[in-house]
Amino acid sequence: MFLEVHDIEKSYNKEAIVSELNINLEKHKTLSILGRSGCGKTTMLKMIAGLTPIDQGVIKLDGVRVDEIEASKRNIVYLYQEDLLFPHLSVFENIAFGLRIKKIKDHIVDDRVIEMIENLELQGHGSKMPHQISGGQRQRVAFGRAIITNPALLLLDEPFGSLDAGTRKNMQTLFLRLAKTFNITSLFVTHDLKEAILMGDEIAYMDKGKLKIYKDRSSFINDPETGVLAETEFWKQLKTEQF
Amino acid sequence: MGRWKNGILITYLVAIVFPFIFLFLLSMSSGWRFPDLLPEYFGFKNWGKVAGTESGIAQSFLISLVISLSVAVSSTLCGFVISRYVSYHPKKRLLTLLTYFPYILAPVVFGACLSYYFLKMGIFGTTFGVVLAQFIIAFPYALIFFSSFWNEKIKSYEDLVATLGGGSLTTFRKVLLPMARGLLMVCFFQTFLISWFEYGLTSIIGVGKVQTLTIKVFLFIKESNFYYGAMSCCMLIIPPVVMIYINKKYVFNKLI
Repeated sequence: MFLEVHDIEKSYNKEAIVSELNINLEKHKTLSILGRSGCGKTTMLKMIAGLTPIDQGVIKLDGVRVDEIEASKRNIVYLYQEDLLFPHLSVFENIAFGLRIKKIKDHIVDDRVIEMIENLELQGHGSKMPHQISGGQRQRVAFGRAIITNPALLLLDEPFGSLDAGTRKNMQTLFLRLAKTFNITSLFVTHDLKEAILMGDEIAYMDKGKLKIYKDRSSFINDPETGVLAETEFWKQLKTEQF
Repeated sequence: MGRWKNGILITYLVAIVFPFIFLFLLSMSSGWRFPDLLPEYFGFKNWGKVAGTESGIAQSFLISLVISLSVAVSSTLCGFVISRYVSYHPKKRLLTLLTYFPYILAPVVFGACLSYYFLKMGIFGTTFGVVLAQFIIAFPYALIFFSSFWNEKIKSYEDLVATLGGGSLTTFRKVLLPMARGLLMVCFFQTFLISWFEYGLTSIIGVGKVQTLTIKVFLFIKESNFYYGAMSCCMLIIPPVVMIYINKKYVFNKLI
């Protein structure tokens, strides 16, 4: 397995936030994780990224133990719900940021950023500043900035949570395309049921700090805990009432 | 109604501008005794002596500039970096409370309390001593000033840079300092002005050996040399005016 997380535990003031966390994920696959606010999703991602220390457990990436390595050397990029574009840099420089700090030669940076801008369908926006583009475009730039560094693992913490329904749908399509083009391995956290089903090769559900990974889509749908059955019932009932 | 409004406006402008005009006129005068309506001499004679050693104004201006620039640069940079650690510290509230400590005493009393230590350290009456004493006042100001900059969003930016492969130095150089550029400039100006107009602490720690322009103004007034005093005041105003101009043109408009 490419990502192996074994028995991770995390508590704050003796209250367990994440317990018995185990993940096994193959290379170039996306695990989508559904969970309500405060269930421990963000803490889980931050522990894997190295931004929050773990109390116990092991994290391995491509067979190498990374839980004792600092965040900047793990090659794991964490994407926030907010785009967090650097306000003093243009779209082009925001995307180039990760390459610049790795001291990659200018002409290589230029070529890769231009290619990424095309992939993100942001042609003509490279010289604009973040405040001059829309919310969806900003989130695309944030995506490009993360993907261009070729991270071993991408962690997405409700990346489309602040977008409207239409933009969200476009971004979901874009992510699926980029994940395929750039062979991305990722953990995709969301509180949106539909998004969890659409985005993941595998699906998991998190509740009160415990993660449950389903062997296939139908077992996720048939588990009453996930809320899929209740949701389906709601739409069925609504349809029956209408006709 | 229009006349009234114009009258009030003119009075308001005269009240603000008159002291400055009068100072400038006084700096160009000499031998102006009561009840004479006009001075004996009016011209640039006094200003011609600015660069000379007799008045010592140019030297004081330079000393003031060196002290204020040193205090502003050191307190702004230290304030920015250390306020980050204070803001993210678990005992943030206690540390912030301690930051206000230098302000519970008047600068003169504070200077008197510090003078023993400065004497023991051998920096009493030196330029470095005055810089250090003023830093003790300006640095907590910078700490308090920057405390509002550090928040959850900035922490997220720092974390993001870390996951993109950047270390602490890269985060400061490429993200935090550029993002705080406007605030850094405002803090620099404010701490410069705190130092530039400081009198009490400077007079105690400097013991007359370090004659900043503010000290010089008081010395001229004590000697009843109002013309040189006025000239020193005019020079005292120059840096703040330049800073207000730069602040307005390059910082304030961008912050808005």
